[in-house]
Amino acid sequence: MALIKLRRVSKTYGMGNVEVHALREVSLAIDPGEYCAIVGASGSGKSTAMNLIGCLDRPTWGDYRLDGIPVSTLGTDALADIRNRKIGFVFQQFYLLPQLTAIENVMLPMVYANVPKSQRRSRAIASLQKVGLGDRLHNRPNQLSGGQQQRVTIARAIVNRPKLLLADEPTGALDSQTSRSILDIFTSLNRAGMTLVMVTHNEAVAQQCDRVITFRDGQVLSDRPTAKAVTNLMLN
Amino acid sequence: MAVKTLGANKLRSGLTMLGIIIGNASVIAMVAAGQAAQEFVTREFESLGTNVLFIAPGSAQRGPTAGIGRADTLTLADAEAIAAEVLAVAEVSPEKNQRLRVTYETAQTQANIIGTTPDYVPVRQISLAQGRFLSPVDSQSALPVAVLGSETAQTLFGKQNPIGQKIRVSNVRFTVVGVVASRGSTFGQNQDETVYVPIQVMVNQLTGQEVGKTSPTVQLIAASAREATSASAAQYQITNLLRLRHGLLNKEDDFVVQSQQDLLATAASITDILVQVLGYTAGISLLVGGIGIMNIMLVSVTERTQEIGLRKAIGAKGIDISVQFTIESIILAVIGGLIGIGVGVTSIGILTLTTPLSAGISLSAIAISFTVSGSTGLIFGLLPARRAAQLDPIVALRS
Repeated sequence: MALIKLRRVSKTYGMGNVEVHALREVSLAIDPGEYCAIVGASGSGKSTAMNLIGCLDRPTWGDYRLDGIPVSTLGTDALADIRNRKIGFVFQQFYLLPQLTAIENVMLPMVYANVPKSQRRSRAIASLQKVGLGDRLHNRPNQLSGGQQQRVTIARAIVNRPKLLLADEPTGALDSQTSRSILDIFTSLNRAGMTLVMVTHNEAVAQQCDRVITFRDGQVLSDRPTAKAVTNLMLN
Repeated sequence: MAVKTLGANKLRSGLTMLGIIIGNASVIAMVAAGQAAQEFVTREFESLGTNVLFIAPGSAQRGPTAGIGRADTLTLADAEAIAAEVLAVAEVSPEKNQRLRVTYETAQTQANIIGTTPDYVPVRQISLAQGRFLSPVDSQSALPVAVLGSETAQTLFGKQNPIGQKIRVSNVRFTVVGVVASRGSTFGQNQDETVYVPIQVMVNQLTGQEVGKTSPTVQLIAASAREATSASAAQYQITNLLRLRHGLLNKEDDFVVQSQQDLLATAASITDILVQVLGYTAGISLLVGGIGIMNIMLVSVTERTQEIGLRKAIGAKGIDISVQFTIESIILAVIGGLIGIGVGVTSIGILTLTTPLSAGISLSAIAISFTVSGSTGLIFGLLPARRAAQLDPIVALRS
């Protein structure tokens, strides 16, 4: 069963008298364990698709099932719950809370998941160790480099053991070498079974994934495996 | 978490709390000051003596020119009649005052000359430091003797013994027979700058007889009831007697009889209003403090839009955000409240040290202002919290 299944999903924003069709009847399926990039120019609808997939927004028409759950019919609190348990977010601007240390930032999703206090610490530490930040637990964001901050974000995203990791331009604010180390973390997470969907406009980054879905004018223009994925298939 | 957030912006948190601090401090200090004033006034009235009735000429209703103590409707004969005819009364002391110059050799001072009778001692409950008070013989024979207030004695004689010495009041010679122990001051009037002389001597030699009066007028008649329970009976009987004597058949009273209880009640009603007004004023400053909190929390919501968006993206529900902001504002209000209570209690201490008021710390005022500031935080935190909870995570993150 597909983890993400969009069926003829449309999203329309009313801007005064003008209706903006951000997505037009998009159908899409992403299976568990896939490593997938969504690309497109600005205004192509990729951000809207990302918001819908991330349950931050609901489609105007159409049906969206995440892990079999018909999320397009859920209320805002139920969606918050889905985001909390099923999805991890990685943002271009990190969005770490400046007054909290790395470990406190990572513990934040567990607060909303009602994870018992006794487990929060150890799980946060494990999560930070997974991204190679086991020695930076008590640093505040302003005491960390950009790459380190993004790794804290990833640790925060995976701490509730979500089914889907959703990354919005995760390397957009980083230099190429740091970008590579972040992508390496994604690759290893994906190998461990995590489904990854990444929105990017950087073609080189997209090619690190297995599948690239290109949007244009609110529709899927192309949906094909990357050369890397094809090579991997041939080699196996 | 909330404490950390507030701690991250100490200046702003501090300024926000300032309103609540001032509010709480003023509630506690104002209520204490009001109650202290109330106690002070009560104590002053009690120092006038218990069971005492004060009869003054004039009426309270007749306007300022003929107000209490200014009219000339009360006479020495009235006082004698009260003493003779009103059974509920034990002692009667008529009083006639005038401020005059008093000299002894080269020393001189201004003093309140009180013409009165020996009954002044039991009625006004004074005690003597030296010598004796005016005697019945002094009164009947109109002897030129004087009893000095403690301050007047000090001014004129210093360390010298005044008993037996001759002083002059308006060039009339008096022999000093006693010194009254210090009475302090009542309502700001010094009771120790005084010379007591027999009332007949005062009338004959100092003030002179008034034209057309068969009996000299007095400014005040103080009478003590036989028992505490007979004070109101005495008040009634005195009123009847004086109405009869003054021929007031279909007219209003031209005198006022007030018991110490009446004065206490009047004072209590005034000071009650004082306490209330102070309380309201302080309450308003607490309200202003609450609005300050709301203002800052609204700014904080706007400023932390991204944080709210992030929290929502990772799973915070509206209620979680709402609770977070409400708790922050309650913490601000409660910490501000605690500091305010500290400031209030300190200022009560200062008040006690610097004024004659002995202000007590009112536990109920503390409890009320603490509760009020806590609920102020809650109430004024709700609107900003609601704002925060309703933010759309997408919009919030992109801001």
